[in-house]
Amino acid sequence: MAFKAFLLRLKQLFKPSATQREIAEELEFHQTLLRERLSRQGVPAQELNTVTTRVFGSSSRWQERLTELWQFRALENFLRDLTFTARLLRKSPGFTAVALLTLALGVGANTAVFSLINGLLLRPLPVPQAEQLAVLRMEEGGPEPEYEFCTPFFRSLEARHEVFSDVFAYNPDILQVRGRSGNENVHGMLVSGQFFQALQTPPLKGRYLTPEDDRRGGSPAGLSVVITEQFWETWFDRAPDVVGRKLIIANVPFTVVGVMPKRFIGADLTQRPQIFAPLSVDPIIDAPRNHIDDGINAWWLTVGARLQPGATLAQADASLAAISSAILRQASSDPNFISDKEKGHFHFAAEPGSKGFTYARLLFRQPLLAMFLMCAGTLLLACLNLASLLMARSAARARELATRLAIGATRRRLIQQLLIESMVIAVLGTAAGLVVAPLVSGSLAALLMSGNSGGVQLDTSLDARVFAFAAIVAVVSALLIGLLPALGATAGDLNDHMRGAQQTRQPHERLRILPRVLLASEVALALVVVIGAGLLATSLVHLYRSGIGFDPRGLVNIAFNMDKQQLEGDALMRQYQQLSEGISRQPGVKSVSFQFIVPLSHLGWNGRYAAPGESPQLINMNSVGPDYFATMRIPLYQGREFRWADTSASGAKMILNASAAKLLFPGQDALGQQVVSGGTHTSYEVVAVAGDTKYRSMRAPAPPIGYVPIMQDEQKKPSFHAVVRVDGPQPALASAVRSLAVRLAPDIPAPAFVTMDEVVDDSMSTERMMALLSVFFAGCALLVTAIGLYGTLAYVTARRTSEIGIRTALGAQRTRVLLMVFRENALVALLGTAVGLGAALLASRVLASFLYGTSPRDPWVLLGSVAALTFIASGASLVPALRAARIDPMAAIRCE
Amino acid sequence: MIREEPGDLIQGTLEMLILKALARGPLHGYAVAVWIEQTSQQVLKVEEGALYPALHRLQLRGLLQAEWGASENNRRAKFYQLTPEGKKRMNAESHRWARLSAAVAFVMQAS
Repeated sequence: MAFKAFLLRLKQLFKPSATQREIAEELEFHQTLLRERLSRQGVPAQELNTVTTRVFGSSSRWQERLTELWQFRALENFLRDLTFTARLLRKSPGFTAVALLTLALGVGANTAVFSLINGLLLRPLPVPQAEQLAVLRMEEGGPEPEYEFCTPFFRSLEARHEVFSDVFAYNPDILQVRGRSGNENVHGMLVSGQFFQALQTPPLKGRYLTPEDDRRGGSPAGLSVVITEQFWETWFDRAPDVVGRKLIIANVPFTVVGVMPKRFIGADLTQRPQIFAPLSVDPIIDAPRNHIDDGINAWWLTVGARLQPGATLAQADASLAAISSAILRQASSDPNFISDKEKGHFHFAAEPGSKGFTYARLLFRQPLLAMFLMCAGTLLLACLNLASLLMARSAARARELATRLAIGATRRRLIQQLLIESMVIAVLGTAAGLVVAPLVSGSLAALLMSGNSGGVQLDTSLDARVFAFAAIVAVVSALLIGLLPALGATAGDLNDHMRGAQQTRQPHERLRILPRVLLASEVALALVVVIGAGLLATSLVHLYRSGIGFDPRGLVNIAFNMDKQQLEGDALMRQYQQLSEGISRQPGVKSVSFQFIVPLSHLGWNGRYAAPGESPQLINMNSVGPDYFATMRIPLYQGREFRWADTSASGAKMILNASAAKLLFPGQDALGQQVVSGGTHTSYEVVAVAGDTKYRSMRAPAPPIGYVPIMQDEQKKPSFHAVVRVDGPQPALASAVRSLAVRLAPDIPAPAFVTMDEVVDDSMSTERMMALLSVFFAGCALLVTAIGLYGTLAYVTARRTSEIGIRTALGAQRTRVLLMVFRENALVALLGTAVGLGAALLASRVLASFLYGTSPRDPWVLLGSVAALTFIASGASLVPALRAARIDPMAAIRCE
Repeated sequence: MIREEPGDLIQGTLEMLILKALARGPLHGYAVAVWIEQTSQQVLKVEEGALYPALHRLQLRGLLQAEWGASENNRRAKFYQLTPEGKKRMNAESHRWARLSAAVAFVMQAS
């Protein structure tokens, strides 16, 4: 019924004059008939009108009543307010621009960070009934659970179906696929037999991989792979007969048995594999490594599962705990391994897996949430700022509002109108922010993920959740912006307002408490953000200055994948030597060497080594080529570099860094000593002691490292990175080395280039993102605060023009006027700074875990932030104060 | 005798009378006024214009629907007609009224 009335009213809304006309016609019709009846009853013609009115009532009154009945009051008022608002905003373009810009910045940053959070932490896997998925982990008594399984554990779990309908495992991998010009690197994923069953996404073409395919040697029909729609497009040009075609992967033919649709990305939101191969072909794909035969020594699988319909996670957890011990004993007969695990009460456990498992999530959850807090702070600041500007402005509009109240507008009606104003600002600002957000979040995601090689991606596209978030932000900010000023402007004594405005009689103490509180909290909030940014930026500088131990500038890494070509042993070493000579002949190349582990790439290799007769110590290892230390500019304290002549036949050699030398030979000269491997019992001769360098990450101090020559590497077909020191940027080097590689080693994938500077930057991507974002926020915060302080003071001062004029006329000195105005803000800023400092001291503890070599109460950062804010606040307050001091008394008084 | 002020004839009652008037078929506003006056034997008299806010309110609530048509002497007039909901409401109202007036009469006749 209400809906019918709504429709009827809506109809009249579009043709109000027609409704008016119909009402008039209907009333007129009645009166005509009435008049005829009356005259039939003998009422004289001259009295006819009077009597008609008496019987019928006043026609115009009825007309009005009916019109009112038909009006769509709420909607019409709303539309009127909207046009009024548009006119107001157009009239003060400066205010509008500032309001929209600050809000767009705030909303844009928030939405951008939220889309990162959404992409990484909130979005479910695009598979049917994702809520039934679980991720399995191992509890071993350590502070963090383990998520990487070994093959024996997984194969035992896979065979059980008590609570899980499917248990699956996967490992992202790089596949070498034979293309038109030799092998190419393609992102792929090794998946177990039940992987596709568990994820329940039907293939676009053909079939998906089944447990049949995941047996050693593949299904009877041979080795199978499933490709994605993208790969089908780029590699096969969407050929309709793709199913059944061959792909040569790692020099072995595979048959394409199916194509998965675009939306299917597997079980890790940050991976975009192009080819899915069965887990059992790992010995081929990863040759010469073999994660399957390595058994309990290879922890390489992420394991997930789909719950049986009706089964709960708690049941799954209990069932996993019950079978843990049996699986542990089944996996290995090594008593040390079993007792080691049992000491930590080893057991399997399940957790919700609707969002899949992503290593990036463990890394970035905390930093992202911290950034989100900072973002929200900035947005709150922008809202507070707009609120105080609006409040100052509505104070200037006090007379208009009071007049409307006086002639009968309800307070509710005025508040509604003021809220609509703030809503328009909020909606426009949010819309602008939404336009920028995807760009920002895209580049943030790229920055964040740059430290992770292997094609890690984060989908930050806008979805329903992001839009809902933006809508909530818009509504909340509209209320934040509008409610306080609206309540403030419409409250209080009508008479005061009417007299108010420009007059001197208004006591200036009436600068009410609320705007001051708003401004002070703005200053406080800005200080918190600025201090946070200062701490993060200082920490980043400390990190960069912490000393890597080598000189990354002018170093280029070139990755050679030698594991799938024909040469091995000394023949392969000769090829590396030829590559080295070829590269060093290129223009601008100063020196060339090789390394197995690229420092700071988050990869590592370690082993137990001992001085003779001593207990073995765990040290990090690297395999490096001749002239490595000169190329890296790592000082050699004693001894010599490796030489090509240091072959396996010439006796095992090792170079220790200073920390390793101190660890293994405390108080002795390490040079010339023997080091014994804890595993193979090989004895190495120490030929040099080198300077300390960072190894896996910048944050950890330089660890003990032992270097062995690449010529004595135990791997059959080792892949090394050439490390090249160049003189200035060498854009031609890449293509020269590629053609060199094609000539010398035609089978290998095109070598990948990365500068050492990039490796160093990427190893600190989280820190860099946080510092960059927070400095950006701090800049915004300072700007917004300056605008707020300036705008409010300018309005307030404008309202006091005549008062100031009279003061000047009566002999007040201009400096006194200046101080008087300046004092308004100085007080507010002082209060805000004090509160902000206190809040920052509490809040900076949140950041403590992200800081490197920086105390969360670093006095210099605190001092600098306060100084920056003071400077900005003084600047913003000085301008209106100067303007007030220059007020011409005559002009001001004449206004009165 | 109820006199001119529309407040005297409480709104709900007027609406009920209108619904009753329209129970026998579509009428325009004037005819509704005349019918109420005549069937009540001139007892119920209102300012005739007061009918219209009630008619329009009933229309907006979906109890009546209105259509422009030709009157007896071929003038354009707005005719009102009960909707199914209006009919239901009319029945409910007349039951309620019968019970209420019987009860009031019973009380007033008690000695």
